[in-house]
Amino acid sequence: MATLPAYDLGPAASAFRADVRDWLARHWTAERRAEHRRKPFKDRGWDVAFSELMGRDGWIGIGWPRRFGGQERSPAEQIAFITEMANAGAPTQAHSTGESIVAQALFKHGTKDQQDEWLSAIRSGRRPFALGYSEPEAGSDLAALRARAVRDGDDWVVNGQKLWSTGADKAEYIWLAVRTDPEVKKQAGISVLIVDLKSPGITIRPSLALYGKTFSAQFYDNVRVPARNMIGVVNTGWTVIADALAAERVMIGVKRIADIERVFDQLTEYVRTAVVGGKALRENPVIRDRIGMLAADIEIARQFQMRNSRLVEQGRTPTHEAAMGKVFSSELQERFAQTALDILGTGGVLSEDAETAPVGAMEQVLRHSIMGMIGGGTSEIQRNVIAQRGLGLPR
Amino acid sequence: MTSINTISDKNGVSDEERDLLRRSVRDYLADIWPADKAVERINDTQALATLWPALAQQGLSSLGCDDAGVGLREIVLVFEELGRAAAPAPLLGAIAANLALSGLASNAAQVLLDDLHHGKAAFALALGAFDGDAAAGAATVRDDGLHGTLAFVEGIETATHILVFTASPSGVAVVTRDASGLTVTATPGLAVPPYSQVTFEGTPALRFDMAGERLDDVAQIARLACAARALGSAQRAFDLAVEHVKVRKQFGQFVGQFQAIQHKLANGLINLDGARLAIDHSAKAYDEGNRDWRIFAASAVAFAGPALRATAVETQRALGAIGYAEEHEAPRHFRRVHADLVRFGGTPRARAQLADFLLGAVS
Repeated sequence: MATLPAYDLGPAASAFRADVRDWLARHWTAERRAEHRRKPFKDRGWDVAFSELMGRDGWIGIGWPRRFGGQERSPAEQIAFITEMANAGAPTQAHSTGESIVAQALFKHGTKDQQDEWLSAIRSGRRPFALGYSEPEAGSDLAALRARAVRDGDDWVVNGQKLWSTGADKAEYIWLAVRTDPEVKKQAGISVLIVDLKSPGITIRPSLALYGKTFSAQFYDNVRVPARNMIGVVNTGWTVIADALAAERVMIGVKRIADIERVFDQLTEYVRTAVVGGKALRENPVIRDRIGMLAADIEIARQFQMRNSRLVEQGRTPTHEAAMGKVFSSELQERFAQTALDILGTGGVLSEDAETAPVGAMEQVLRHSIMGMIGGGTSEIQRNVIAQRGLGLPR
Repeated sequence: MTSINTISDKNGVSDEERDLLRRSVRDYLADIWPADKAVERINDTQALATLWPALAQQGLSSLGCDDAGVGLREIVLVFEELGRAAAPAPLLGAIAANLALSGLASNAAQVLLDDLHHGKAAFALALGAFDGDAAAGAATVRDDGLHGTLAFVEGIETATHILVFTASPSGVAVVTRDASGLTVTATPGLAVPPYSQVTFEGTPALRFDMAGERLDDVAQIARLACAARALGSAQRAFDLAVEHVKVRKQFGQFVGQFQAIQHKLANGLINLDGARLAIDHSAKAYDEGNRDWRIFAASAVAFAGPALRATAVETQRALGAIGYAEEHEAPRHFRRVHADLVRFGGTPRARAQLADFLLGAVS
């Protein structure tokens, strides 16, 4: 009896994994976990104090180039790192958007001054970011966005509305996509601004999403943003966003898969030991078949992830390959949760805060899985990318 | 810093060399087993008989030998190409014989392997108690020879020998095709050429003792090889469907512009790539001596079953009636995919193996 074999990452990454485990054992202690657990569910996963601790010890930006203060860790080592953090349930969301999206765009499109100003702050864990992309009329068709920025002296003046921004009610800054030229083809008139969420004129309205945490609408009413906060050349924001997304898409899957592995281990541990109606659950052939199915699917999700990482190492940007990984792992998360409910019965719909839940968090995994299939490009959009970029089918 | 790309291959075969091998096997098969002749030839025993010596001449008959210089990654790649070409070469028996017999200090074994490598011998494979399919039967060894009935044996049309795995005593038995007490009955079905049922009644056999664990491993490799062959078949038919929807117009537009078709085919690519990555990963783990290769192989087989069968069905649907004619390439691949993916226990057995690993075996 065992858990799934660990990722097959080679000796350097395995050694690095041991370092990460050691650090976690010393800093993500039982007391700290218990304290985190006492927070309301909606606030779990976001812990600026823990992000600062990680930043102090150099654990933010481990994959960044050395010239930006990173460790230039290989994709294999990054997979080991993210997997260990997720398996331990360590809260990394406060710094993850800055680390894996904003920073990636800054490497390529930021000026020297901008890199100096933002990267070390992100790396310290003290500067949580949110993303301001979607709008009422711009979801999957992001390029249709309308939030307007008009130049006025040394500032840009922003007016408009954004939706569904995770963490915007907790973050200090937002990575905001705005329209700077309404007269040209929609992709050609977009720019990106870094906006201080405490600026006058911003109203943030959080609402509870299905998975039990918040996302926020924001209203921008003549918000003044210093011109030096524009990232990249004016009206080239579409490229800035695409580059940030491409980099993000590869590594974001690692955490999703690690999260699935974590709850899969909890589920198999339960099945191994539970006795229901006088019978050992693990002997039920239907349950054995479904556990086998999930184990195989997790291996497939890992292999898609490994391919993406190999492509990055070769200096290529995975497009349809990244889309395949995202579709597969996000839909696997949903399949996992549905299977868990079948195995656990009504006990599976109890939340992790219910003392009598047979295994915690299963219903939360189910609710969370919907976000995986919607956020960061829906499964439908990903399939369009696979068909058109991967198979060359006509648009 | 260890790179994922440069984690070394035990046999020192690079990605470029593997691509080269793939291309050369593909070109060679296209030459000796062309797609437009495959349907008529597959029922022609004489044509079938030319296939193995030709492949042997290319060195493919020694795949699986300790000294072949290539590993399991290359073996599964060749199986993928056999599936792609729908070429019914008796390679399954050959790799099983090479894997089982090549390390033995036995002159008899060496003679058999020499004949195999020179294309003079061809092996049909019967895994018996190691098969994984509960209805495959088993052979037992008695003083007067081999006894028992074994089902679902492929490659008997051109075989000179049958390689039989036995459980007690644990080992392999080699029976010549013209041995006494041997009855062969063709059992037609989805697989073309058909499987055969083989009955032994005091049939003389050359016997080699072998540990059960080793025979289990060879059986696991046979499963992986079948999954790879099904993958090659599924991929070829899928490629034809993709080309088809790029040129076929209905309702004034290319069929491939309909999102319903795009998403169907996107799922196909996910299934094909997922199966290929997992098969390759388990083969690589085997070559590197990683004992988890069995778990990775079970994962690959468990996934490939439903994934590739669904892809084969969607491929037929994308091709419509054009692909429903037996002379089109798609139907032979549809047959092969389904036949190979249920062989040796298929997905249910692979999932059970994973459950045994994670939950403990059930007595």
